[in-house]
Amino acid sequence: MKEKLHEQLSALVDNELMDAEQALLFRQLGTDAGLRERLSRYQIISDGLQNHLPPRVDPGFHKGIQAALQDEPALHVELPRFAGLFKPLAGLAVAASVAVVAVLSLQSARNEPASAPAMASAPVVQDYLRADIRPLPASSPQVPQSLDAYLVNHNEYAVNRGMLPYVRLVGHEMNVDAKE
Amino acid sequence: MKWLLLASLVVTGPVFMQAAFATDGTTPQSARQWLDSMSGALQALNYDGTFVYLHDNRLEAMRIVHQVSPGGEKERLIALTGSAREVLRDEKVVTCIMPDNKSVMVGQSRPRQPFPDVPEDLDSLSPYYQLRDAGEDRIAGLMTRVIDITPRDKYRYGYRFWIDATNFMLLKFELKDVDGTAIEQVMFTDLKVGERIDPATLEPSLTGEGYNWFRQENSTGDPAVNPVRPEWTVTLLPAGFKMTDSQRRQVRQGGEHAEHMVFTDGLATVSVYVEKVMANETAFTGLSNRGAMNAFGSVLGDYQVTVVGEVPAATVQSVARSVSKR
Repeated sequence: MKEKLHEQLSALVDNELMDAEQALLFRQLGTDAGLRERLSRYQIISDGLQNHLPPRVDPGFHKGIQAALQDEPALHVELPRFAGLFKPLAGLAVAASVAVVAVLSLQSARNEPASAPAMASAPVVQDYLRADIRPLPASSPQVPQSLDAYLVNHNEYAVNRGMLPYVRLVGHEMNVDAKE
Repeated sequence: MKWLLLASLVVTGPVFMQAAFATDGTTPQSARQWLDSMSGALQALNYDGTFVYLHDNRLEAMRIVHQVSPGGEKERLIALTGSAREVLRDEKVVTCIMPDNKSVMVGQSRPRQPFPDVPEDLDSLSPYYQLRDAGEDRIAGLMTRVIDITPRDKYRYGYRFWIDATNFMLLKFELKDVDGTAIEQVMFTDLKVGERIDPATLEPSLTGEGYNWFRQENSTGDPAVNPVRPEWTVTLLPAGFKMTDSQRRQVRQGGEHAEHMVFTDGLATVSVYVEKVMANETAFTGLSNRGAMNAFGSVLGDYQVTVVGEVPAATVQSVARSVSKR
């Protein structure tokens, strides 16, 4: 079973995996951390063999990180050796562009009865999405910026980690703290 | 006050559609399998998309770029409205650039876990959540499968996922309270999947020059290998929450070592931080939030107790009030 999975990983990296197998492999990747690590290793090998390794990308930003941390050897950021070029996965080079006209209506829970969702008055154009959102009560202030470090640290421990929890940090209006 | 917002986003390029689900056995057969497939796709695919984030009477637009590089995953999240905050994340570090307060914070990233992080049989989760395949739905012409996770009590949130039936990408996400009311929503308005990512799109637009930089101290390691016995204890947790990690390290700039305890029920995660109150800072007390992330602060002697989590306010509040010194 494992050997079969490893063969499929190899085929995936080589753009030779059948669509049907690909769907099953994704499911396995979703649950198996070891398999995900193996995928990364195969990608390195594949790119090396095909001489796709790009020159090292050394953006000014990373220099900035290193400069800022140069007095702390243990904190140096290891630059990715091959960052910047990677062949899209087999069969996945599908431009799944989503065309949306989103009609988003928000209403205040304080002033609208829960049973009366706001209706968008904008014209409906082909595919659309209507979202009725009752916001959180506005009584609680935003977390002070001084506690952002806790939020960043916590995000990395969340089960649903990845970028999704960071939308709360990025989606932040700075003027809120001034009221506190 | 009622207000309407029209977000009209027209995208050029081919629209990939699949009229019906595959019937060759590759379609996930259960809600759990759909979540597994989504988790795998979010990690294994290249994508570049714009989405809207709705919360607290506000709508904000952001862009996310995700690249599966030979060194692992690399991703960047950029605010397109409001302050131009950015987050860059790879397998080693997460870097948050906040131009509004001219600061850069660098933390240690940790590998993704499967979602939900529970055994295949879901037995440990079922007393607290109901997992359900809610059928098909179309999002902008794309066929999706809707998966619902509904909490069985008021101490946790529910989740609804719209998963692309073809490539298993997450196209829309809602966080809901126990009544089913959406309190936070993320929805892609433009998404390109599987294409080569231009390296420039993963570079920050700001250099961080002249900013205040802070690097969080790294984790003390695997708690199974290097256990940290907490000096503080939490006595009141919603059923099903267990401590999965405890660390002691500097988390905030200028702060002393904070004790950090992590509790999860397999879906929701709550962090408890206990740190000496800084001399030049007013202690944080009471309830606050950042989107659906709630926080509650209290003071115990010289210590600041802060509980944060993607859980209802009542949960962080009751957890915070049960923290005491061993």
